[in-house]
Amino acid sequence: MSSLRYRTIKDKTFFYTTCFLASLTVIPLFAIIWELIKKGYKQINWSFFTESAPSTLDAMLARNTGDIIPGGIANGITGTLLMVALAAVIAIPIGIMVGIHLSEHPKTKFSNITRFLTDLIQGSPSIVIGIIAYAWIVKPLGSYSALAGSVALSIMMLPLIIRSTEETLKMLPGSLKEAGLALGASYTSVILKVLLPAAFGGLFTGILLAISRVMGETAPLMLTALGSTAVNWDVLKPTSAVPLLIWEFYNDPNLIDMIWSSSLFLLMLILALNIIAKQIAKKWRVQ
Amino acid sequence: MNQKTLKLILSEMKNLLIIILAIAIASCGNSKKKDSDNKKMNIAAAGATFPLPFYNLAFKTYQEKTGNTVTYGGIGSGGGIRSLKDKIVDFGGSDAYLSDAEMQEMPYATVHIPTCMGAVVMAYNMPELKDLKLSGEVVADIYLGKITKWNDAKIQELNPRITLPDKGMTPVYRSDGSGTTFVFSDYLTKVSNDWKENVGTGKSLKWPVGLAAKGNPGVAGTISQTPGAIGYVGSEYAFSLNIPMAQMRNSSGNFIIPNTESISAAAKGEMPADTRTMITNSSAPDAYPISCFTWIILYKEQAYANRTLAQAQATVKLLDWMLSPEAQALTTKVHYSPLPQTAVANAKTLLNSISFEGKQVLK
Amino acid sequence: MRDLIFKRLLSVCCILILLISAGMIYSLVSGSVPTLSHYGFFQFIGSTEWDPHPDRETYGALSFIVGTLLTSFLALIFCIPFSLPVALFTGEFFRGKKVAVFISSIIDLLAGIPSIVYGLWGFYTFRPIIIELGINSQGFGILTSSIILAIMIIPYASSLSGEFISMVPNELKEAAYSLGATRFEVIKTVTFPSAGSGVFASYILALGRALGETMAVTMLIGNTNNLPGSLADTGNTMASIIANQFGEADGLKLSSLIAIGLLLFLITALINLVAKLVIKKLN
Repeated sequence: MSSLRYRTIKDKTFFYTTCFLASLTVIPLFAIIWELIKKGYKQINWSFFTESAPSTLDAMLARNTGDIIPGGIANGITGTLLMVALAAVIAIPIGIMVGIHLSEHPKTKFSNITRFLTDLIQGSPSIVIGIIAYAWIVKPLGSYSALAGSVALSIMMLPLIIRSTEETLKMLPGSLKEAGLALGASYTSVILKVLLPAAFGGLFTGILLAISRVMGETAPLMLTALGSTAVNWDVLKPTSAVPLLIWEFYNDPNLIDMIWSSSLFLLMLILALNIIAKQIAKKWRVQ
Repeated sequence: MNQKTLKLILSEMKNLLIIILAIAIASCGNSKKKDSDNKKMNIAAAGATFPLPFYNLAFKTYQEKTGNTVTYGGIGSGGGIRSLKDKIVDFGGSDAYLSDAEMQEMPYATVHIPTCMGAVVMAYNMPELKDLKLSGEVVADIYLGKITKWNDAKIQELNPRITLPDKGMTPVYRSDGSGTTFVFSDYLTKVSNDWKENVGTGKSLKWPVGLAAKGNPGVAGTISQTPGAIGYVGSEYAFSLNIPMAQMRNSSGNFIIPNTESISAAAKGEMPADTRTMITNSSAPDAYPISCFTWIILYKEQAYANRTLAQAQATVKLLDWMLSPEAQALTTKVHYSPLPQTAVANAKTLLNSISFEGKQVLK
Repeated sequence: MRDLIFKRLLSVCCILILLISAGMIYSLVSGSVPTLSHYGFFQFIGSTEWDPHPDRETYGALSFIVGTLLTSFLALIFCIPFSLPVALFTGEFFRGKKVAVFISSIIDLLAGIPSIVYGLWGFYTFRPIIIELGINSQGFGILTSSIILAIMIIPYASSLSGEFISMVPNELKEAAYSLGATRFEVIKTVTFPSAGSGVFASYILALGRALGETMAVTMLIGNTNNLPGSLADTGNTMASIIANQFGEADGLKLSSLIAIGLLLFLITALINLVAKLVIKKLN
């Protein structure tokens, strides 16, 4: 071994380099947020939430006179709400049920296969899931629809909910279940009334994270929900979503100013969901 | 306790069922209401981005006039035709007419209704260059990768009085299937043998060089964001972004600026009854060479895929209005040209041929 | 009786997962059959020809496979110098400390940013830099998308590998310290060897992420259907060609796009499987 001094210098250099590089990774998040705020805050006002996306022409006229582009992203916000809510309605019950099954029968072959397939679905690229939802829903129903978008999103949410349910239930002490059963409660009621409430924090965190994960998805919605210029609540009709609108704005130089405000809105929504989820997880773990 | 749990599950399920039912009923209710209520129809369409500025303006005017909403998704001509084929729209927009083979592939007989005329312009990002002049041969060479610099001798030849910058050239083309591409490549096929042999005419092509962007707006945006770029876009997209566009040499050797008059000049002449015709490289001396019609394509027999008579009527009425002087007058506001009289007459005949269960829709 | 119904219900839900996966594979395979039977599997993945012209329609996936692998592996390489320090920072140097929690939650938030926002940022902030540096004249291409992809996968690579690093037993490290080793030597000789395969697995998982990324890449790669000749070249990935052309594709082209989807699905499944096997071996 070389001299002590040399080794100490090496050690220190390594330490500071590591710290330096690690702290660099913080930059992109703030750079992105800063850029969005800088360019997007002007566009956010009341009509941003209440009006549908402007047409190219409206935007063009406004640009030519130097005004702020009229209209908002109400069609996107409502579409995102509709599709994410529907996806949650589909994915949450199924996901929790599967999660319960996996934690109740951790070692059976059936569980192993299910777990493997869950991972398979989780690893699937979102665009592939878009193709699937197109083949399953859009093609047979003969129309792009919010439903097709929701199905795609729910397939993406499922593995996340299953995993978080299983992990959370696994962490509960076995005594909880045994105590319930010893008191004469049925298996079903122990799970529904003892285990699930006890695991509520974990489940809720998992669900929130799953929702925040699919909320920003664009690719699968391009193949399924298509987009719409007006607010639409009909699940069988094409529907817009905030990320879809961002994609439209990106592809239309007249609407480019809208990009920043809508991205800012979407990002803030997702980050807020993430932070809330993490806070709940922290609180729940302390108990 | 067991009983309670079961009740809990049952009531949960009931709640879920009620929600699902409510959604289903709400959606059915909506569509039923729309069927019975003639005043508020929703027409769904998708396709070409080339006429999108005109369609946006026209459909909005129509909506204010009648209350009927028209949703038009600018997804490219290829997407419009595919959506019509999949029967998920009331009509598709396209700047390329269906070839005989493509018409055979459609599930039912189709009709082409022209809606306006426009120009595909060569827009470029080279701020120091004003009044650039180009010819079809040179544009073909740029897209074939034979001309890579702005100061190429062939460009200099067309612009003898201008000092051209010694900078790289990036041709931009469409990543999606596009009628604009069809019109552009149809023109290049007519003026360049090299192009004809190596690339040809089509909605989407195998491009030897360049950069791709989605939709007319995407190409316009990429040009305006990329120094040294040149690309073909619907004229309105270049106008609205203040991107300079080149004068094109037409078949008579004149350099022509794309505008309402020079586009209209390209359409002088006969038009076939089914309106399927290309007017690129027109022989008229004052015609802009990359001019085109744009069409709305729909099925001749409207009673398909559970469509209602009301829906068919609303669709055809909208198209009838698009041919009216009122709608045609809107074209020039967004740098398109109104249809020539022969085209309007042919289109009206075609509209009258559209039927619902064998009966004429338009009365 | 009620318990039985409940248990049945649980199993039914699991069967649903089975059905979804089977249905996914079935839909992808049946959609790909026309293309695969027309060209044959190996010709399809071995050809760079993508010519939609009706007279000489040919579709081959090689350019996109190369585009996908190039961008993903490059992204992986670019992300190592940043994600590894983050993993060491949170899992070793400042394990459990507030600053580590801060860094890792920031990194976690990075994972929450939608792909399309990364694309925008790349397009407006990063692309001009590429042009400025003179890498190519328009700023799009393999390199541009790889760098943005690298930022996108840092959270996936660092959080899991950080966990593996923090799981290295203290006794091992303390033994090394007591022999007079510096921290750097401990990391080199103890931490990495014992956490190595876990770290490796997390990078494979991150690679799986990169392979399937769609929007950011679509916005930055240039969308040209050619085999990229250099890193400054434009190209297309499997995901981006689907995003670009699925909406209008028809017949053989549609089938080719679905076949590309199937390939992408298989590649990511394989990558994830390898990672899971490595992790399983560790446990």
